[in-house]
Amino acid sequence: MSDNLARVSLSIEREPYEAPARRGFRLVSAAPNRRTRPRIFYALTAVAGMAAIIVAQLLLSVGISQGAYEISSLQSSQSELGRTAASVSEDLVRVSSPQSLATNAEGLGMVSNSNPVYLRLSDGAVLGAPASASGSQAGAASLVPNSLLAGSTPLSALPEDTTGTGETLAITSAPVVPAGLAAPTTR
Amino acid sequence: MSVRNSSARQTGARTNPTNSRSSRRRTFFTIVVLFAVIGVFLVRLVDIQVVQADSLTADSVGNRSVGQVVYGSRGEVVDANGVVLAGTVMRYNITMSPVNATPFKRTVDGKKVVISVAEAAAEIGAATGQTGDAILLTIGAALEANAKANFAYIAQKVDVDVLRAVQELHIPWTYSENSPSRVYPNGAVAGNMLGYLSGEGVPQAGLESGQDTCLASTNGSETYEKGADGVRIPGSSVTSTEAVDGGDVITTIDSDLNWFVQQTLAARAQETGAAWATAVVQDVKTGKLLAVADYPSVDPNNVGGTKNPEDRGSRAFTQSFEPGSTFKALTMASVLDAGAATLETGIVAPYRYLPANGANINDSHAHPDQHMTLTGVLIDSSNTGMSKFGEKLTDQQRYDYMKAFGVGTPTETGFPREDGGILHPVDEWDNQTSYATMFGQGLTTTALQVASIYQTIANDGVRMPVQLVEGCRQADGTMANVPDQVGTRVLSEKAAQDTSDVLEMVYQKSWVQSKWNIPGYRVAAKTGTAQMPDGQGGYSNGYLVSVSGYAPADDPQYVVSVSIADPVKLNTSAAPAPVFQEIMSQVLKKYRAVPSGVTAPDLPSTW
Repeated sequence: MSDNLARVSLSIEREPYEAPARRGFRLVSAAPNRRTRPRIFYALTAVAGMAAIIVAQLLLSVGISQGAYEISSLQSSQSELGRTAASVSEDLVRVSSPQSLATNAEGLGMVSNSNPVYLRLSDGAVLGAPASASGSQAGAASLVPNSLLAGSTPLSALPEDTTGTGETLAITSAPVVPAGLAAPTTR
Repeated sequence: MSVRNSSARQTGARTNPTNSRSSRRRTFFTIVVLFAVIGVFLVRLVDIQVVQADSLTADSVGNRSVGQVVYGSRGEVVDANGVVLAGTVMRYNITMSPVNATPFKRTVDGKKVVISVAEAAAEIGAATGQTGDAILLTIGAALEANAKANFAYIAQKVDVDVLRAVQELHIPWTYSENSPSRVYPNGAVAGNMLGYLSGEGVPQAGLESGQDTCLASTNGSETYEKGADGVRIPGSSVTSTEAVDGGDVITTIDSDLNWFVQQTLAARAQETGAAWATAVVQDVKTGKLLAVADYPSVDPNNVGGTKNPEDRGSRAFTQSFEPGSTFKALTMASVLDAGAATLETGIVAPYRYLPANGANINDSHAHPDQHMTLTGVLIDSSNTGMSKFGEKLTDQQRYDYMKAFGVGTPTETGFPREDGGILHPVDEWDNQTSYATMFGQGLTTTALQVASIYQTIANDGVRMPVQLVEGCRQADGTMANVPDQVGTRVLSEKAAQDTSDVLEMVYQKSWVQSKWNIPGYRVAAKTGTAQMPDGQGGYSNGYLVSVSGYAPADDPQYVVSVSIADPVKLNTSAAPAPVFQEIMSQVLKKYRAVPSGVTAPDLPSTW
């Protein structure tokens, strides 16, 4: 501003606009009012701004802690559900074990037959001697222990009025099997 | 601008002079107060940051930070179809603080009720399956040992249902902790082979031990800050080390088949009063083990239920024995492959044979001299006949064939402490051993090695490495530690085919034919009856009876080898033969093997 060159250039430029500049003169009221009003305004703005920031900050942190509680409760319910899922799938794997399937199948009167007979389509020959299953495993207690199955009841031994909504599916009518399956009479 | 500023400064200077003294005093006073306050803060700062720093830090960590172990999950052992044989599950320990075990208040139906320690103990006991008195005893014992005891176990390794039942009680002095455990959903199925972990999770035997580098996991940790109510403070610092889960071991075993084999074997072993028994099912083309059964079976969920520690391992891998006559197939194959004899070659088999080197060989039953071919020797299982064929090769030649068949070396399964059997070098053989090794005495093999000999003959003379583990499946699905599966030719195709034809004749003409007959299929098999050592360098009265063979003989696919040790009620091959029949029938049925179309060859057994 104290630069000499600038002042010189200004004075030169002002000359052509002397006449319009004179038209802008007008009466101005006393100074004090005009000076104090902006200061209060700025102060209020600043205070309001700070208040807004504080409120926003508070709301934000309330929101975040609310979120933290929500996360915490969701996480705990997730882990609870995870435990349930793990426990249920453990049950499923356990009841699908060969011991459980065999006990249940035998409980329903099924007999294992390791004597397969084949019908050859090319010449109609019967390979093997068809015979009723001897039930080599039937009745025998499981010789391959599984301590996980201790205390579980074969389905056929469940009471008849058990509905299928429990842990195990109930077969309401276990077939009555005579001692040894009758040989088929088909000819 | 500069003009206005300087004038304002002049104005201020002009108004101050009258108050300058009091102002200076006020400034001085303010500074003193300020320094005093700063001093107080400084002292407090040093006190907190230096003097009490350690105890305060310890307090704050205890109050705000929660350190947690993040458990890595030990890998699973699965069978060929993905059925889990060994898996990791989370179990829970119920713990308590004995010193805090006092009566507490509980709101029942809107009323506050005081629950005494005895009542609480009874409630816990009902949930965990103990008696309330037992829990009171635990509390008493803990307090007796230490009057301020703050920790004791109520129950260990309970499942989630029990945990929830205890948590429902809301007893303020009970807590829980995680305790990852091993579970074997199929019980004793392949249990001897799987092995088990100790209570602390250290592998003790079997695959658990042999494949530990694959299965083992690394626990991680996680630390974060919590508020008074236990909720994690948002944005609080978290330091964590990630847990690394173990890889899964994929075995070649079929769990359903393994169950059937174990069940069948156990039934027969009990019926015949056997000491122990093993059965092996192997795939001819790949060398993969489909089932490995041991009797007595161990349930890895309940190892303590198997009293004899020797029954807890897998004898199929770790117990070698003199194989006896099943070994004659190897000698025959060696003689045929070396071209020292053909299927037409005839010898005269006496009851007792005294070779020039001074050995003394006799057959199991007295008989006049017989004019036999190799076929006849195998059908009658004649030791003297076998000796006359075996001596056509040098000891060194036969030794080399045995080594090529895998005798004397543990198989490629990588099973821990697998036995390789005893095969002494040729220069240590005495005269008797030289002949005894022709019919499976004077050397030992495991059940696996016998199965592998029959696999080689069945697979046109190419021996495949015995495979138990497909590999270690990593978290990203890739397989590591995949074993080498390159076969080695031991016999010419012609020699393997001739041997197979003879074994098929044995199956048809053997005295146990009615016991191992499988209609519709051509089968090749051989029995063995070997005296068992008494552990003091001699032989006991016990016999190890076995049957090894494969089917269908026209396109061999499965080897089954059954060994029963010391069946006191029936010490002949009639003991294992029905087991062989049942297992082989089941294998052929299960894997949909096509029944044989062509009739079996008929070879002359005499000349």
